[in-house]
This record gives sequence, structure tokens and C-alpha cells, in this order.
Amino acid sequence: MKTIMEIQNVSKQYRGKKILENATFSICANQIIALVGKNGSGKSTLLKIIAELVDADSGSIVKHRQSLKIGYVPEVTPSHILFTPEEYLYHMGSIRGMAKKQLQQKINDLLELFHLEEARNIRIVNFSKGMKQKVMIMQAMLEDTDLLILDEPLSGLDPKAQSDLEETLSILKDKGLSIVLTCHETKLLQHLVDTVLVIQNNKIIQADSFNKNDVPKNKLIFEISSEELLDHLLPILEIQQQSLLNNSCYEVITIIKAEETDRILLELLHKKASIKQLIPINEKEEQFYTHF
Amino acid sequence: MTSLLRYQFINYLRTYKYVPPFSIFILCLVVNYTFVPNPILDSYSFTAIILFLLMGWFTVTLFHAEDEEQKVITTLHAKSRTQYNLGIFIICGLIGFGLSCVSVIYPTLIGAFGEEPRFIHQLLGFLSHFSLAVLAIALSAIFTRELVKNKQNTWWGVLSILLFSIVIATLTEAILQIKGLIWLLPPVRLSLEMMGSEDSIKTIPTIFYWQFAWIFLYSTFVIMLFFLLSNRKRK
Repeated sequence: MKTIMEIQNVSKQYRGKKILENATFSICANQIIALVGKNGSGKSTLLKIIAELVDADSGSIVKHRQSLKIGYVPEVTPSHILFTPEEYLYHMGSIRGMAKKQLQQKINDLLELFHLEEARNIRIVNFSKGMKQKVMIMQAMLEDTDLLILDEPLSGLDPKAQSDLEETLSILKDKGLSIVLTCHETKLLQHLVDTVLVIQNNKIIQADSFNKNDVPKNKLIFEISSEELLDHLLPILEIQQQSLLNNSCYEVITIIKAEETDRILLELLHKKASIKQLIPINEKEEQFYTHF
Repeated sequence: MTSLLRYQFINYLRTYKYVPPFSIFILCLVVNYTFVPNPILDSYSFTAIILFLLMGWFTVTLFHAEDEEQKVITTLHAKSRTQYNLGIFIICGLIGFGLSCVSVIYPTLIGAFGEEPRFIHQLLGFLSHFSLAVLAIALSAIFTRELVKNKQNTWWGVLSILLFSIVIATLTEAILQIKGLIWLLPPVRLSLEMMGSEDSIKTIPTIFYWQFAWIFLYSTFVIMLFFLLSNRKRK
């Protein structure tokens, strides 16, 4: 993937306290990066530095294109916007210096994309939090944005609004936008994000790429009466642990692909195995949330 | 810049935060000129002090018209914090200009003075109002959330600095004893001194122009200090 921005050795202190230390990573075109970490770990500060709202103490932000356009959505949605979405977007676009005709067209496109056409004449102050969040993303996308920065976009939204927004982000990704966001929602991490950066002790300690081809797996625990029967199962099972029980049966723990679960269960039943537990597992979530 | 000014002004109008100071200003103006005749320069001096105090109110409410988060977004679109703050200063200045004009023209229109005010009275009256309005804007801006985090401190700060400025204006003799201090303190006293002239004044002494110039220059220094501190805060 083509790199659009590089964050190189960025460090930041606030009132003598280290917030970030030598943060280094790249943002590629059409990539979604999630910054995760505890509250106060420096995620929002890093986003503000990328958005050029705050200066870093040291290090640099290298844009690979001079005309790279960045849109920013803050963590807290402004609650008292006394304009309709149309008026609000018009003012923000005008302040940016966009031409009137181009701006009006863009506003219409965005209202359609975010399904807010019917609310175009209602003041934003009367919107739900989810709708306000959409308007915030719209203002960040006014000028054909290349990189969208979202600080806790799903925070405080109800499940329906979260799902709507997740769908919107998915559409934006399909449109070729790069997105850097902070979030705590495992659902979003699982379905959308390409790369997760974990911030711990002021440092980016892990940069792990999500493999979109990861298949869901199940943990299966069963009992089987003889070692001989167990041997027959070896070709189809990846056995993690086996132990001999008092009743001379074997307890076996194995990980199987979710899609093969039915076939394996049938096979085990044919071998007179007794199924004890079947637990869906998500390795990614387990991996990332051990950091918090 | 015009788009930014238009947005900031419309947003301010929609907050209705201007209603209390504007109402008080109108009320003071009407009450002050209820009984006629009135001395010209004395009356102007009184309304100038009222405007000085109320401009602090206008300034704070203008700087706080947007949510903190919306301010970040608007600043991003304006591409610079300096541009954003400059916009607010310009709107404050325009409000100060408009109210200064009203303060001078209204009593003339209703014939509130014992004699017909001459151009010299109106010029002195306008300069007195506008210079104090600009001074109040500069002093009050220092205590807005741009530089002061706690909103309560903003109101106490603004009220204190404006009242302090008026109080020291009445203690000129004592302050003159301390060399150099006179240059540091807000020069409200200069306006009061000039407006203490007789209504029979024939020409404006040259020193008056220098004194008005010093009030504007002092305000400019304070506004520059505001921008300096504001840009340092970004770091």
C-alpha cells in the first residue's frame, strides 16, 4: 500500500510529564488504523499532533503529498450547534475557502451519503448523539479529505447508532479514505480496522496487522473412551491438550475452525465421544485487550 | 476571513448571549438622558465608563460563544488559531464601534444636552467611548478560556481588571508618586481626564490626540500579549 504520511519519533510532554515517546508509524492509503490504550495513554494527543492542532516537542510528521487533506473529529461532540446541517456545513466550507457552487454540491452529496437529507433543515442542537457524530464526520470530509482522524467515534453511542456509524466508516474506507481512530469497541476493531497500534507507557509497543482472512474458531472440549479412537481423530484435529481421567477416558482440548464444527462433531459422535464444551473464541480481542 | 467573521457573528447572534449586556447598555443610555438638560462631556464620560464595563461582558461571551470542541473544529477550518481569534477581536471591535456611535448620536438626536453639541464634542465623545471599548476588549480577552481554563476565573478576572482600572484612574496623584507604574496600568484615567474638560472647550489640544493614541497603543500591546500567550499554549 502507498504511504501517505509518516510519523517519525514523535515525543510530547505536558507539564513535565511524558505523554508520548518516539512514536513512529506510517499511514497508508485506504488503511484504517486504530490506536488503543488506557485513558490518558496519549492516544488523543497523538491524533491532535497528526491533525496539526498541537505541536510535538520533537520528531516529525512527513506528508508524502503536499496537498494531503486532513479532517478531524474531536472526542466530545459539540452539543450546542445552533445551525442546521446545511447551514453548518456551508459555514465550515466557506471558512475553508471552498467555492460556493462546489460547496453546495458537496453538502448535497454528504447529506445523501450520511442519510441526513430529511434532517437538513433541523438545527443540530436537536439531533441525537449519533446524528451529531455524523455531522462531525461530514464537516471533516468537506474538502475531499484524504485522511480522517476520529477520536473515540463510537463513544457514548447506542448500539444502533454504533452500527450505523460503523457502516458509514466502512463506506468511507471503500471510497479510498485513510482513517486513524482511537476506540475501545472490540466490534469496530474486528470488522473494520486493518492495523492496531497499542500505546502503553507512552510508547507504541505493538503494531499488529489484522489478517482479514482470519477465520473464526471454536474451542472444543470432549471425552473419548480409548487412545485408539483418539488416534483416529488426529488427522482432523489440532489437539492442544489431552489428559487421562480416573475413568480411563481421555479429556481432549482442541481448537477447530468454526466452519468445520458440524463435521467434526458428527465424527466425534460416531467415535462415541462425549462433548463437554464448545466455546467460540476471538484471538484478536484476547490479544489486544490484555493490554488494558 | 469574511466567511469566518460572518459565521462567528451569526453564531453569536443565535446564542442570545448579547441580550443582557445590550439591554443594560440601552437602559443606562435611556436613564442617563431621561432628564434634560445634561452637560455634554460629563455625560459622555459616564456612558463611556458604562461601555467600558459592558464591553468586558460582550468580549467574554463572544470568545465563549462556541463549545470548546466546536472551537477546535472552526480553528482547523480557519487554518490558524491566530486567524480565529483575530476574527473575534474584529467582531468585538465592530460592536464597540457601533455602540460608541450610538452613545454619541442618541443624546444628540433626542436633544438631551443644554446646548447643541459641536463636532469637537462629538469627536471627543466618540474617541472616549471607542478607546475605552477597545481597552476593555484587550483586557478582558486575557481572561477568556483561550488563556484561562476555569470559567469562574474568567468572570472574576474580567470584573476585577475592569474595576481595578477604573479605581486606579481615580487615584492618579498617589500612583504618580511611583515612577514607571503609570505606564503599566490601564490608561482609563487619560480618558476621564480629557472628558473632565469644560463644555466650552474650543479646540482639542494636541496632547489629547497623543493620550488617545496611547490608549489604543496600550490596547494593542495587550492584544499582542494575548496572541503570544495563545500561540505558546498550542505548544
